[in-house]
Amino acid sequence: MVRWSGWLAIAAAIIWSAWSTEVSPGRLIEGFPFMLDFIRRMLPPDPSVLGQALRGALQTLQIAVVGTAVGAVLALPVAFAAARNTAPAWAFYWTRSALNVFRAMDTLVYALFFVAAVGLGPFPGVLAVVVYTATVLAKLYSEAIEAMDPLPVEAVEAVGATRLQVLRWGVVPQLVPHFLSFTLYRFETNIRAAAVLGFVGAGGIGFYIQTYLRLLNYPAASTVLLVLVVMVMVVDFASSRLRARLV
Amino acid sequence: MIRVRGLSKRYPSGTVGLDGVSLDVAAGEFVALIGSSGAGKSTLLRCLNGLVSPSAGTVSVDDQPVTSASSAGLRSVRARVGFVFQQFNLLKRLSVLDNVLVGSLARVDVWRSLLGRFPAEDVERARRTLKRVGLEGVEAQRADTLSGGQQQRVAIARALVQEPRVLLADEPMSSLDPALSRSVMELLRDINREDGLTVIASLHVLDLATTYGKRIVGLRAGRVVHDGPAAGLSPAAAEAVFASDPAGEPR
Repeated sequence: MVRWSGWLAIAAAIIWSAWSTEVSPGRLIEGFPFMLDFIRRMLPPDPSVLGQALRGALQTLQIAVVGTAVGAVLALPVAFAAARNTAPAWAFYWTRSALNVFRAMDTLVYALFFVAAVGLGPFPGVLAVVVYTATVLAKLYSEAIEAMDPLPVEAVEAVGATRLQVLRWGVVPQLVPHFLSFTLYRFETNIRAAAVLGFVGAGGIGFYIQTYLRLLNYPAASTVLLVLVVMVMVVDFASSRLRARLV
Repeated sequence: MIRVRGLSKRYPSGTVGLDGVSLDVAAGEFVALIGSSGAGKSTLLRCLNGLVSPSAGTVSVDDQPVTSASSAGLRSVRARVGFVFQQFNLLKRLSVLDNVLVGSLARVDVWRSLLGRFPAEDVERARRTLKRVGLEGVEAQRADTLSGGQQQRVAIARALVQEPRVLLADEPMSSLDPALSRSVMELLRDINREDGLTVIASLHVLDLATTYGKRIVGLRAGRVVHDGPAAGLSPAAAEAVFASDPAGEPR
């Protein structure tokens, strides 16, 4: 009985949301020819903007590299303050709550904020990536810290090791592979996040995508998009290969 | 060598771990600590190297106080006491050799150990010890690629490179099958005989205790209820150690 009313409520929520957002299969079907036309107008890609696209892609990559690295370093101490088994109860509570608040906003929202604060360009993009990465990685790291096996740590204590030695030989070997894996994964997602930062003036390849679409220069836009797709695929491939070797 | 006086441990949950245990162990003894699970065997062993701090009573090892020790004092006691755990407690991702080198941490320079640069003599000692426990040629393998019996040998090697005065073993074979249990117990007996190392091993299998121990100490509900040579352990005495208390309360 309770079960049925639960499913009914979920169904009602979906139907209500679809109705409110004007979901209409008919309009989708009507729009189909326009989509084809859009794609047709994007072809063939315009090779003359390739240099521009590559420069934009490189900048996106650089935003992701710096943003991920700095974010990861900032996340490290926060993670220990957000893990149940390493933080005092009050610190744990406040850190976790603060992380949840900061994580409620995505990179793009931070980018809007930092563009307003420091002006246009890749720098506000880097700052946005740093903030979001730090909060996400702090959460992921803290979960790895909580999942740590206390028994080997005890074994290192039992040989008469100092606190630093216990950290180096009991804790670090358990955490570092997870930390690196999470960081690489975050780097992959940061490339995608950084690709749209240009929409709000925060640097990278997104600026060219938005500009050429606005100028209705579809062949140029398609060159830029192709460069983006290739870059994301190459980074994903390399990064997931690396991650597979870590854990 | 080991002096225990009036040792009691009450856990925050109210569980009584130990209830007034006094015990002397001389150098070179092989003591088998028997008792059913929850009798206090683990708690007693862990009090001997300060992994558990007792509620009352004193422990000294080699005339060094354990219970009242500063953190530096406790480290120096632990350096001389090898501890072998039921679940081996190896660092799974580290190589076998690195796991054994952990045993030399208290001896080597702290900064070099943090960089992972152990002195050549310590590396040599670790290799020699691995050979002694019957593990040659697996030094570079990850610890978790070994079988349970092999992992326990790595753990014993880790304790031996400490060059300890005492070896404490907490149910060292209970994660292993019977044949492996015997080989681990034989290894401990050889170490006791050849090096004159004092060994205290808790065992819940009576058969292993009487075969390998020279002296049997029986614990029940946190108290010593039997203490005597292994040869003289009567079936009735053994039964009394393992008999269950109906209420589960100390008598």
